Amino acid sequence: MVLKNLNDLKQIVEGRSRKKLVLAAAQDQHSLGAVVKAWKENIIEPILIGDKEGIQNICALNNYDITGLRIIHEPDTEMAVEMAVRMVSSKQADILMKGMVGSSILLKCVLNKEWGLRTGHLLSHFALFEVETYHKVIAVTDVAMNISPNLKDKIAILNNSVDCLNKLGYKMPKVAVLGAVEMVNENMEATLHAALLSKMNQRDQIRNCIIDGPLAFDNAVSLESAQHKGIRSEVAGDTDLLLMPDIEVGNVLYKSLVFFAKAKVASIILGALVPIVLTSRSDSEQAKFDSIMLSAAACK
Amino acid sequence: MTALCCQPQPANNLIMIKALYQIEEKVLALNKKHRVAVAWAHDPNTIGAINKAVKNKLIEAVLIGKSSEIINICKAEHIDHNQFTIVNSENDSSASLEAVRMTKSGETDIVMKGLVGSDKFLKAVMDKETGLMVPNAVLSYVGALEIPAYHKLLFITDPAVIPYPDLDQKVAMIGYAIEMARKFGVEKPKVALISASEKMSRHFSNSVDYSIICKMADRGQIKNCIIDGPLDLFLACDKKSISIKGVKTPVNGDADVLLFPSLESCNPFYKGLMLFAGGELAGLIRGTEKPVILMSRSESEKSKYFCIALSCLMA
Repeated sequence: MVLKNLNDLKQIVEGRSRKKLVLAAAQDQHSLGAVVKAWKENIIEPILIGDKEGIQNICALNNYDITGLRIIHEPDTEMAVEMAVRMVSSKQADILMKGMVGSSILLKCVLNKEWGLRTGHLLSHFALFEVETYHKVIAVTDVAMNISPNLKDKIAILNNSVDCLNKLGYKMPKVAVLGAVEMVNENMEATLHAALLSKMNQRDQIRNCIIDGPLAFDNAVSLESAQHKGIRSEVAGDTDLLLMPDIEVGNVLYKSLVFFAKAKVASIILGALVPIVLTSRSDSEQAKFDSIMLSAAACK
Repeated sequence: MTALCCQPQPANNLIMIKALYQIEEKVLALNKKHRVAVAWAHDPNTIGAINKAVKNKLIEAVLIGKSSEIINICKAEHIDHNQFTIVNSENDSSASLEAVRMTKSGETDIVMKGLVGSDKFLKAVMDKETGLMVPNAVLSYVGALEIPAYHKLLFITDPAVIPYPDLDQKVAMIGYAIEMARKFGVEKPKVALISASEKMSRHFSNSVDYSIICKMADRGQIKNCIIDGPLDLFLACDKKSISIKGVKTPVNGDADVLLFPSLESCNPFYKGLMLFAGGELAGLIRGTEKPVILMSRSESEKSKYFCIALSCLMA
């Protein structure tokens, strides 16, 4: 199965039992709006933790009907986050979502050794883009979490993302390892990493996907451009997942897709016990809603 | 355009060489006699091999060394010294320099090491001004190995020159081996990059280099070959191992070329096969403007003869 647009995520969730999403420090307008909408559309079963009065005020002000929604009052932000994380690690919730709290505080709790959500895997950011000019959604990793991943990190990031795509119904996602050029160049580490990841994939050391790289961005997403360059590749022009060389490339690509190409984006953090919705506080309600759908679809 | 353009072009228009004795036939068919300068031709094995090559009309020979001593060896071996040009030289170093000078100037086409140590001989070959090195080229060694237990010749590199080749040197070595295999008529040689396992591990630097090399070949940065690695020797040369291990590799147990990770792995490989499995090797230095025959002084006359024939093929 291949997702044509972000709305297709809904089909994955439909027919499954509703996942419990816990929103930590829930007193945030966009987060509440997205969570309430997802609840009304039967995508998730929310639990709100935070300042009850603040939550109720925001909902009243924006006409969010939260009748029957479970709210746990905890005005202290850090305590609210800890409580949310503990709910997940004790299996009372399936998805963790960040509300009105800084990412660093939330991640500190996620990584707590006693009651956090550690699995031994590297945490990585996974984003799905719906771009009008591409024939399907395209996943991109890692544009927000790992700064300058080494080869070992890239393997972990790939495994996280491929596992997630497998859960979304992609049996053998096509992975392009991005470089500035499609040639191997000893002076460009990204091209060397790409060659190694390709070989590890051939030898079944990275499974359940087809990896090719280095591929320049144009080769990865345009068959015509790949053919023009004479590249023989199963991935070129039909990429499902783009692996970024580092956060700078990834972040600029992410933002240019959103600002210049008017892309829709859904994103989650992978590698923890459960998917984490950790959108930026400035992200739109739509982006948060799509991210919630993605997190529900990515649950086991 | 005519239909001829669509015909596949063979590496060269002769039949494939499947055993070392066939090199001679191929060289004779090319119908060009080469001139060989032998540095310090003071040993019976070298003179014997040269004599055979002259008799078989492969070469003309210039023997450089102490004239009287060369003539004495010829007499003792019942070889007619008048068929050679003998150039007098006082010691092994000056003989090496003279052999290299003659070849660089075009008086001869090929240099061969006689009873001189490799270090002195290579010093003459590698001299930046008077030597035979292609500027900036990697100096390496390729051998064609004939083993009764294998169904064809194996080209191996490098058993003699580079102790621990880096990525660039490996790429150059592969290029030399492909070039030689193609001269033998193997149009698209299968190149196996040899390691202890087929897995890629960042802790094994050779497996890292090999993975990079494969991708370079994917992208057309290395041409005229089918290449895979890391592979162990079984996966490289034994089809049965392929099916047992279930590894997908285009080399498919049918390698023509073996790239070894180090001199210390390649050298015992060929020597072991020569000692215990009836193997025979003909090899050449690569990276030089003209062929350079560099063999151990203890090699047999037969091996030296094969090397002379090989140098004529590559000249």
